[in-house]
Order: sequence, then structure tokens, then C-alpha cells
Amino acid sequence: MRIVATTPVQDCFDGSTVFTYWFDTVWTPDLVQVLRCLGELEYFSDFPRPFFRLRCGSGLQVKGVVGEDNCQVILPRAEREVIRESFERCFAP
Amino acid sequence: MIYLNNAATSYPKAPGVVDAVRSALTDAPGPPGRTAAEDRSTLDECRDLIAEQLAVRDPHRIVLTPGSTYSINLALWGLGLRAAHRVVTTVTEHNSVLRPLYHLRERHGTSIAIVGLGADGALDMDRFKTALESGATLVAANHASNVTGRVNDVACLFSMAHEAGAVTLLDASQSLGHVPVHPEELGADLVAFTGHKGLLGPPGTGGLYVDPNLDLEPMLVGGTGVRSDLMLHPADMPTRLEAGTPNLPGFAGLAAALRWTAGPERQGPAVASAMAERLRDGLRTLRGVRLVDDDSRAQRVPVVSFVVDGWSVDEAGYALACSFGVQCRSGLHCAPLIHQALGTWPHGTVRLSPSAFTTTEEIARAVEAVARLAGCA
Ligand SMILES: Cc1ncc(COP(=O)(O)O)c(C=O)c1O
Repeated sequence: MRIVATTPVQDCFDGSTVFTYWFDTVWTPDLVQVLRCLGELEYFSDFPRPFFRLRCGSGLQVKGVVGEDNCQVILPRAEREVIRESFERCFAP
Repeated sequence: MIYLNNAATSYPKAPGVVDAVRSALTDAPGPPGRTAAEDRSTLDECRDLIAEQLAVRDPHRIVLTPGSTYSINLALWGLGLRAAHRVVTTVTEHNSVLRPLYHLRERHGTSIAIVGLGADGALDMDRFKTALESGATLVAANHASNVTGRVNDVACLFSMAHEAGAVTLLDASQSLGHVPVHPEELGADLVAFTGHKGLLGPPGTGGLYVDPNLDLEPMLVGGTGVRSDLMLHPADMPTRLEAGTPNLPGFAGLAAALRWTAGPERQGPAVASAMAERLRDGLRTLRGVRLVDDDSRAQRVPVVSFVVDGWSVDEAGYALACSFGVQCRSGLHCAPLIHQALGTWPHGTVRLSPSAFTTTEEIARAVEAVARLAGCA
């Protein structure tokens, strides 16, 4: 799974930076597990489209659904670049 | 997909809107002169229908604009507010009111007083009265909150405002199409409204009602299609406040929406409001779900805000939309101050907003989806 694009989400959020990350393939239940190394991953397999969310002590948050080629990523204000790199590293070739 | 984000923009549009917009774009424009007359008649029909909705006698007092934000700016900048002036407003306002006011304060030193909520969740009338005692040039108030749906008692606010000698501006973005908005009854000198929410019309349409005793300075001047011989922009209303080529397809669509809402389908607002009540009733029974501002005595437009234990509002909104197909909105909804008053700052709420086209089945499925999030299904 490789990142192919990122787009900032334009909305009235609370000031955090929110991005949609786009991938070259869709999320599968197995691929979701890649995120486990970053923090607390929860997987709601019984939702109509299985939903996952990741919450990390650093403030990084990720959410998405299986079957989509994207997910939403919230990057906190503090240490934004370091945290962004740690997230993107999960998808490095 | 279950669309419950009508407070952001309505979907679907009223029957006839899409055809009217399409015809306005596909029908060949007539020869010069005739085209102008036809364009005028679309705009005039729209103006007449809005005047009817607002129970306003003179349609020329209705300025057609691209929406509420434009109308509010037109009103606030057009009043020529300066350092000597004071505006009293409320915590329920949208950024479309707050930001122009903050800009006026930055640029011209205009002072602003913001009135909060009382313990019952309604605007604090005592504090409002106190705020007026220090003088007010303008009172700007939201008719209905886009976060809680609560309808403010603007008739009372505006009556006090007039006694204090202030001009009154009503933001009817969330109320028009849902509850009566009659400027004369409410004591509103200026009413900003939008076409794409409760009126079920296209985005990029809206207007500003201007009381006959009030003159606004134009924010834009230029071409009007009439009186081309004049050096200065024509002074007569509504041309005075309408410069540039209007959004004809949009206003043709809005006219169609207004014709529909004025027709036998007039029970539309009652349906939307019944659906919102059903939604509130359903969500109220769920453990782990907290309705925000749930006073059953309050009059409301169809907007329901809530938070779910264990879920941030953006996670909940995302899961509802992407996992359950329930289109909603989460966050501050461009109205930051009310969240400070309600205790939902800084993250906001999840908001569901039905329309006249929402069904009981859709409401049941939305409640079921929230129940699944809350873990009580
Ligand atoms: C209370 C309120 N005021 C103003 C606006 C802005 O309206 P428009 O989209 O027509 O500019 C909105 C829209 O969300 C609103 O809810």
C-alpha cells in the first residue's frame, strides 16, 4: 500500500490539520493492521462497512473504512512534521 | 445514502428546481433588449415570491445576492459602522456575522458586545438589556442556531433594540423555509437569508431585505443592465445594491423552489420538524449519547446536535457517513461561540438535519447507526 496523494480537508474543525491520504489500493482488514505499530488501533468489523480508528499518544489520529482507498489523518500542532513522517513511514516501499 | 445534512445545504432540491436551472442554461438567450426583459422577469418573479414569503409589501426592498454571507456583509459594511458605533450580538451567531464584525472592529474600531446564554439555554435577556444600556447602533441576531436548531426570541430582542434606538439585523439562514420570517412582525430592519437551505433552492442564491426607512451604502458598484447613461450607480432599490450579472439560473431555480413551497406541499416544514423530533426522541433513549441543548420547551428548526461517549465528534461523523451512509456534519459548524456556552468547545458536535423529504425509515436507520456507535444496539 503506497501513498499516492494527500489533500487538506477544508472544514470548520478545531484548528488541527486534517488531511485525506489517498493510496494505490483499498484498505483491507489485513492492511488496517499495519497501523497497529503506531498506537491504539480499534477495528469495528460489525459496522456495515468495517471502520477503523487509530489514536496515538502523540496526538496523531487516523480513521477510515475497509474498501476505500483513502483515510483521514489528524496531525496535531506540536511536532507535526515528525508525526507526519512516522505515519508515512508505515507505507514506505 | 441517508442525507441528513440539510442545515449545510438541502438535498434533494424542491421539485422543479433542477428543470428551471437547466432551462435557464439551455434555452437560447433572446436578442439584446428582449434578453434583458426576460432576465428581469425571472428576477422579478423571484423577488415577488420572496416578498410573499416574508410578508413584505414592496418587493423592491429585496436585494438578490449569492447568499447569506454576502447579504450580511452587505448589511454590515453598508451601514458604515465606525469607531463611534457599537454592535450588540449573540453567542449563537455564525462566522458569517462574527467575522465581518471582528473585521469592522479591526479596521474601524467598531465595538462589539456579545450576549451569552442563560441557564435554560436561551439567550440571556437580562444581559441583553444590560448590554443595550451602554448604547447600540446595531443589534445583529441569529433567528435559529445552526448548532442546536433553537429559535431565538428575536421579536423580544428587536423590540428592546428599537427602544434603545438600534437598527436590527436578522440572520434568517436557518429559519426561512422552516418558521415564519416576517420582518414587520419580528421588528427586523434587515433580514439576510439564503436560498439553498430551508427554501430547498440552489446554492449561490439568497437575499437581503432592507426596511424602507433604511439606506445602505453599496458594497459593489458597476454594471446593472439598466441606466447605462449614468456616471454613478443608480440609487433606486434594489438596483442600488445589485451590481454585476446576476446568477439567473440560480434565481430561476430559487423561484421554482418558492413556487413549490407556496403550493399545496406547504406541509414541508411540518414534515422536517416532525422528523427532527422523531430523531431527538430516538437519540434521547440511547445510553452514551448526549443531545446538546435538549429543552423540549424550545421552538426549533430541524437541527439536532449530539455527542457520543467514547467517540470524538469527527470520528463519529466520519463513521456515520462512511460506514453507515448517514450524511451528517461534525465539528464547530462555523459557530464557535455557542460551543463555549454549551460546553462542547473545542471539538463541537455531530449534527443531523432532516428536510421535508426525510422519511421515518431514514430516521430509524440513523438512530440505529448512532446506537451502534454508542454500543447500545
Ligand atoms: C446561521 C447561518 N448564518 C449564515 C450562514 C451562511 O449562509 P450562506 O451559505 O448562504 O452564505 C449559514 C450557513 O451555514 C448559517 O447556518
